[in-house]
Amino acid sequence: MPGPLHPCDLLKSILQLSNSTIPIDVKLDQMLQSISGAFQSDQCLFLTPEKIDKNGFLSRVVSEKKPLWVEDGPSFPKENVPLEEAELLCPTFACIPLYDETSLQGILYIGYSKHTRFSPEETDLLLLIGEVMGGVIRNDDLHLKAEETISELTALHEMGRAVTFTLKLENLFELIVTTGLKILKAKGGVLRVEDPRTGELKVKCSLGDYHQNPLDEKMARRVFYTRTPLSFNHSGEEKPVFSVLCAPFLSKGKAFGTLAFYDRDSDSSKFNEKDLQRLSMMANQMSCAIENALTHYETSRMAQEHEKRVKELSTLWELNKTLLTTVNFERTLHLTLTAITIGEGLKFNRAMLFLVNEKDRVLEGTIAVGPDSAEEAGKIWDSLSLRKGTPSDLITQLPPEDHSTLNSIVKGIQIPLAQEHCILSRTVLEGRPFNTQLPQSKEGELQTPCERGCHLGSEVGCYVGEHLSRNPKVYSFATVPLIGKGKVIGVILVDNLYNQNPITEEDIHFLSMFANQAGLAIENASLYRNLEEVHQELKETQTFLIHLEKMVALGEMSTTIAHEIKNPLTSIGGFARRLDRTVPEGSQEKKYSETIIKEVSRLERILNDLLNYTRDESLVFKELDLRDILEESLSMVTEEIHSGRIQLVKEFGEEIPKIIGDSHQLKQIFFNLINNACQAMKEKGTLFVRIYSFSKNGSSYVKVEVEDSGKGVDPENLHNIFNPFYSTKESSLGLGLPMVHRIITSHRGQIEVDNHPGKGVNFIITLPAREGREK
Amino acid sequence: MILVVKGMSQAHSGVKPMKKILVVDDEESIRFLYKEELEEEGYIVECAGNGEEALEKLFVFRPDLISLDIKMPGMDGLEALKRIRQTERQLPIILCSAYGEYKQDLTTWASDAYVVKCADLTNFKSTIRKLLGLS
Repeated sequence: MPGPLHPCDLLKSILQLSNSTIPIDVKLDQMLQSISGAFQSDQCLFLTPEKIDKNGFLSRVVSEKKPLWVEDGPSFPKENVPLEEAELLCPTFACIPLYDETSLQGILYIGYSKHTRFSPEETDLLLLIGEVMGGVIRNDDLHLKAEETISELTALHEMGRAVTFTLKLENLFELIVTTGLKILKAKGGVLRVEDPRTGELKVKCSLGDYHQNPLDEKMARRVFYTRTPLSFNHSGEEKPVFSVLCAPFLSKGKAFGTLAFYDRDSDSSKFNEKDLQRLSMMANQMSCAIENALTHYETSRMAQEHEKRVKELSTLWELNKTLLTTVNFERTLHLTLTAITIGEGLKFNRAMLFLVNEKDRVLEGTIAVGPDSAEEAGKIWDSLSLRKGTPSDLITQLPPEDHSTLNSIVKGIQIPLAQEHCILSRTVLEGRPFNTQLPQSKEGELQTPCERGCHLGSEVGCYVGEHLSRNPKVYSFATVPLIGKGKVIGVILVDNLYNQNPITEEDIHFLSMFANQAGLAIENASLYRNLEEVHQELKETQTFLIHLEKMVALGEMSTTIAHEIKNPLTSIGGFARRLDRTVPEGSQEKKYSETIIKEVSRLERILNDLLNYTRDESLVFKELDLRDILEESLSMVTEEIHSGRIQLVKEFGEEIPKIIGDSHQLKQIFFNLINNACQAMKEKGTLFVRIYSFSKNGSSYVKVEVEDSGKGVDPENLHNIFNPFYSTKESSLGLGLPMVHRIITSHRGQIEVDNHPGKGVNFIITLPAREGREK
Repeated sequence: MILVVKGMSQAHSGVKPMKKILVVDDEESIRFLYKEELEEEGYIVECAGNGEEALEKLFVFRPDLISLDIKMPGMDGLEALKRIRQTERQLPIILCSAYGEYKQDLTTWASDAYVVKCADLTNFKSTIRKLLGLS
């Protein structure tokens, strides 16, 4: 044995090493060096059980559980020795198997290149050292196991805390991934949950670095469908090295999500089986919690949705209640728009309503509700927030707002439906809502889809563009069709100009629901309005009939009275004339008798007027030339004209079509008109009598105008001039013009008055020309 | 006044026998007025208060002209006109009424003239002269 052996020094260093905290590999290595130094061996090795070939001599050593001492190496049988073990066949060597209670821990090997011998002291020492090394390995194993258990316990503890800490899905997911990162010392983690509607796996939470590539997705899907955890270590040459762990969340045998972690924090190391087991354990532990949280989330989401629906429905109900408070058309429109803009209602900033005019195929701006500026909007909202009551109370309390600039602008808008690029026309034509958001361009102005430069492709937009009180980054507006009785009767346009809130699809949905209701209300109000109009017409007709009846009764009565008076009046007048002839010229009595004659004549004239008016003469309709009739009527008043007091201007057209009429009556009315004209011109004046023909809608008409240069008719009396017994003249019963009116009407004609107070009046009579029967 | 002078001159001409006129009217004042006026014109005037009386007097008085009121109690003017025309085809008859509405009645066409009553008798008198062939 070469050199002195100091067993105490060796044992001391071995014991020191065994109690040190350095890693086991280093510890064993340093122990081997100490042994090698002490025994001055050429080789000193620790062979792990994995390295032992089943067919070699080492496996025999293992199975015999006895140390092998070889002092005469060359005589050791060399047959069937595996290549790796051949190196170990030194001239002198020893193999000491190390065991704990159950299993082999490894073999301590010591070899010399020269022939030598093991003294009993040396063999004892080596065996002792073997015992110590075995203890060190066992301790290390136990230590490792204990550490692992602690870390698993910690992980479970943290998970448990995570579960009890929150039911909020996002927080829970984040906690799970954070904890997983910590336990597995991973660089990144992803949690996926299946979308119950689409069946797709969706990333719910991701932390740190993870490989967002198809492989990652693929792996998650595979884990999800096979319901088994999977680890994957990629060590290709081109792609960077990476390592993935993935485990499914399982509940009642079904997978509902996956949890994956990427790359260990420490440089080159990869995830191992243990990590995968830990991940699986974590996933199993968490499944229940996640499922609960998911159910809770789904339930609360549904509850929220229900609550929202209920709120919507109750708002809708309130708004409908409001609409039911009136059948007045204008009021219904105003209430509709107010409901759309009020905070308790649909909350839009402004609302405009356009109704379809079917006849002209245009959209007509009808009404608009909305503040003119952001300041006004603020004031209105402030004052509204102070009011209390249900929306229906609030809305009906609001005064009709008709003076806003927006309202008057919108009222002037007409958009032909043919203008298809206009979003309003499109809303009507396509019968669906549009939600439009116009983004701001780089120049700071709104981008517009319309070549005319307006923001909506219509005048509304032009207006909006000009009146943007602030310069909004975006301008959002929406249009919905207004549907009444199955057809589109109009469009509602809403925007949030002032608070610039985005308009969501849900807003549009709600607005559409309301628009359907409002459409019905508006349709009903419109029908009611028509009904009212017809009712009004009927009422007027009834009034007129009552008036007519009165006039007939009055006529009958006055005829009777006139008849009774006529005979006595004839006698009075006749005898007065007889008396008059006997009374000397120039005497006082002459004046008396003349007065009687004059007054009786006046009474007779009035009675004749009355009888002529009320008399129901059967008419004799003949073909007439109105020029002849006019000439005859003029000849009856020649005195004023001949005296030169009144200048007559006749403007008779050359080719005047004949008309059908009663010559007697027509003569009478033209005489009345001409006579009135002459009387209207008390001093001097000009009387115009015109006759001409014209065509309208394929029919010919003859017009006669009788114009004077008198004072005209007092505008206050104008509406009364055709009423019987309305006279401004002292010596008239006031039946002249009513008779003219009656006769013209019975001739299917029309009479118009062109009155110029202070300058004169022109009576224009239009009669239909005789139909061309000659043809 | 001119008419009066003219009438007077005829009355005193005495060349031809005086014409007889039967005035039929239910109003006494009217009968009185017509009688006075026509006698002044130089006619012999007889009066009747209704249709029956007129028919009775027709054969006794033998008038050259009848002035016949239309609206009368008992037999009215239009009925009387029909009866008279059955025998007297040539006798001039003037229908004399307060109103113009009878103008449309076809019966009135059987008369020779239709005069609406008026305090001014000029028209009435000229019609009589025309029918008697005096103007």
